[in-house]
Amino acid sequence: MSIDAIYSAFERAAEQPLESAKAWKQTHGTRVVGSFPMHFPGELAHAAGCLPVILQENHEPITVGHGMIYPFYCGFTRSVVDQACKGDYDFLDAIMFGDHCVQVLGAADVVRAKLPNTRVHFYQLISSMSDPWSLGRARETFLNLKEGLEEMIGHPIDEEATHASIRLFNKNRQLLRKLYDLRRAGDARITAKQMQILVKSSMVMDKAAHNDLLGRLLAEIEKTKAISQRGMRVYLSGHFCQSPKIGVLDMIEECGGIVVDDDLYHGQRYISTDVDETGDPLDALAKWYLERNLKVPCPTRVDQNADWENYLLDAMERSRADGMIVLMAKFCEPHMYYYPEIKEAFEKRGVPHLLIETEHELNSFEGLRTRVETFLEVVKRQSAARRIAA
Amino acid sequence: MNAIAQPLKKANRLKTSSLNNKMVNDYWTDVFNAKAEGKLVCWYEGVAINPLMQAADIRWVHGEAWSALLAARNNEQEAQTAAEHRGYMKELCSYARTHIGCGVLAQNRGVEASGSSFSDALGAGKLGERIPAPDMFISAYPYCSTGQQWDEMLFRLFGKKVPIFNISVPWVWGNKPDAIYLGGTEFNEAKQYMVKQLRACTKFIEEQTGKKYNWDSLGEIMSYTKTAGRLRMEAMELCNAKPAPASFFDWTTSLAPVNFIPGGPGIVEYFEKTKAEIVQRIADNEGGIPQEKYRLFWDGIMNWNKIGWLANKFANYDANMVAGRYTHMGFWHEHESIDLNDPLEGMAVNYLVCPINLSAPLMIEQIIKLCKHYEIDGMVLHAARTCRAFSNPQYLIADAVQKRLGLPVAMIEGDMVDESFYKDELVNSRIEAMLESIEARKRVGIAA
Repeated sequence: MSIDAIYSAFERAAEQPLESAKAWKQTHGTRVVGSFPMHFPGELAHAAGCLPVILQENHEPITVGHGMIYPFYCGFTRSVVDQACKGDYDFLDAIMFGDHCVQVLGAADVVRAKLPNTRVHFYQLISSMSDPWSLGRARETFLNLKEGLEEMIGHPIDEEATHASIRLFNKNRQLLRKLYDLRRAGDARITAKQMQILVKSSMVMDKAAHNDLLGRLLAEIEKTKAISQRGMRVYLSGHFCQSPKIGVLDMIEECGGIVVDDDLYHGQRYISTDVDETGDPLDALAKWYLERNLKVPCPTRVDQNADWENYLLDAMERSRADGMIVLMAKFCEPHMYYYPEIKEAFEKRGVPHLLIETEHELNSFEGLRTRVETFLEVVKRQSAARRIAA
Repeated sequence: MNAIAQPLKKANRLKTSSLNNKMVNDYWTDVFNAKAEGKLVCWYEGVAINPLMQAADIRWVHGEAWSALLAARNNEQEAQTAAEHRGYMKELCSYARTHIGCGVLAQNRGVEASGSSFSDALGAGKLGERIPAPDMFISAYPYCSTGQQWDEMLFRLFGKKVPIFNISVPWVWGNKPDAIYLGGTEFNEAKQYMVKQLRACTKFIEEQTGKKYNWDSLGEIMSYTKTAGRLRMEAMELCNAKPAPASFFDWTTSLAPVNFIPGGPGIVEYFEKTKAEIVQRIADNEGGIPQEKYRLFWDGIMNWNKIGWLANKFANYDANMVAGRYTHMGFWHEHESIDLNDPLEGMAVNYLVCPINLSAPLMIEQIIKLCKHYEIDGMVLHAARTCRAFSNPQYLIADAVQKRLGLPVAMIEGDMVDESFYKDELVNSRIEAMLESIEARKRVGIAA
């Protein structure tokens, strides 16, 4: 397969996730378990013989969903409600989720009402990460989830199968992280769009099939010498449950930005942490859940041991980024809460950043382009000034 | 139906409300005097955990109550502007924005602000700036993720130096078929999890005060709280009388004694008097509005900038807002579950079934019961722009009461303490459309 053909395969799954899952179900006869982002461990559903699929915001205009949720909700939430109302989730065998973002909870109630014959189960993950009982509570939650899955499939989930799923998922994360390393080092030219479809497709595809394609991609990339690029090195931050619009990513690069790293959920955040492959799988998953927040801090959690703003400043340095673009989904409350901390820290350190608020309905794209062009020009001048001063 | 053409009618507010105002002022006066009197101050949001602090002689600032007071006394603007200048966006919970804004102001305030009395600060229009800074935070937010994040941001705003304790309140969702209101495997597990955390919270409080936790005092406080909760529920239940002697707006005004006023004889006396006034009004056939033609239910949180305005608006439509989710499904409404010898479990029960923490199917059943008890003709759903916790299930609620009870509904947009989200003419037209619909139903003889 050529590089282009491999990317096309990833793109089909990333852009049509439900169609891709439906096709997998038809071909393989497995159950499909949908989940809401961002901390649901797909490993357990996989060990139960199911295809875990992280439900995505789609590109469709929100129509019937407007009759079930107010417009002052984030695009992901409104899109999920809209998809449920249109019957897009009818083929799912279950929807299981653990995050309790208030807007997602609103969507969950609607989804359950619209899918009366589907298991819509909630296993609430503790979001306060540094309490004495955080680890134990996370394990209890994963145990409840495991029992819920077992009830659905009608038999216990084999421990060795869970270990195998953990190994498979770890391998997937490791392969994707390798691509990040290559891009960061300038050894591979991977655009922001390509990186997104690589990670997003991992959220919806069978992991073994995804690993196979990733292996082929890496082999092709290693054969090719990366052409050095000119432009401002940009770090992308933010956007949790929903993937940024491809048009926005392309526009940033068209304006002269080279996206070298990110902490996006459809990016580093999703693949940051591996699960311990030894010992009790539930212990390992609980530990993974807490460690993940230390690796890439998430504003949807509260954690006295993690500072997102410091993480971002360090990540900028590691990736030698010249500036950061913050992509904030409109109405995303955790992001709105945390943003002033980032703003303050970046201004104090003199690191340039630009905040872009995004919406499901992408408006005033040209206005956005002007802002990005101006920002990159500022970054360029600041970088030049720093070089002269040095 | 045109509001402008009608002579202005005003709500017949309960006379006992004035006692509530005095209690509120006395309480905030005590809070403002805390530092001078050597008392610790705890900032917290969410469920009414204040009895835990009161038993340890700590003074407390409930973020929502404080923001609501600022809005009701037209003192919210300075705090909201301070938050906005720091980068908090307008779409964030306005309670949180206002409260965090007070935190920002507290960081910036001059020496002259310390030791300011409540009345001086109110007189100067500086309430937001002069609230005593916290010595600790306790977070116990049901359902809404924003609550825990709000406390976390306050913790960070104060340089991560003020101790914080997080109580994680599980949402009552119901995976299992045995899930019912106040029961089922998951509810019982959630209750025990809450008790464990509340007990740990008393240890945290001990660490802050350096004193052994006073369980006897907690039992005594909860005995007043339980009695006040019972009297309030009894008084509200009497409002199924026609005309209803009080309105949702009266009960909203009366939330302070069951939300943040110290548990003591004062809160019991308040609801005794309130209940007596209700009984007397029923005997006198006196309604909460001059002329009751329609009986309505309010779903959603209160708009604190507009409480008097809305009370009079509905009175002017001859519409009595008889009950509401906010007032009737929370604030120690499950008082019977409180065992005074060991009150934590009963407290946990009340926190778990507060007006936002039930998933839609369980919540809707409770709302339907209330609509039947109070013989409701129509429902107003207040979509608070920045309170998704309350707004979340409203389409499902509207759908259920329309289909199961045939109630016309009106959805209106507003907010808790950000006045800019309220559009009066839109509200008027939606209420009038709903009242027309109730009229039409009455004409064909199908209204309650």
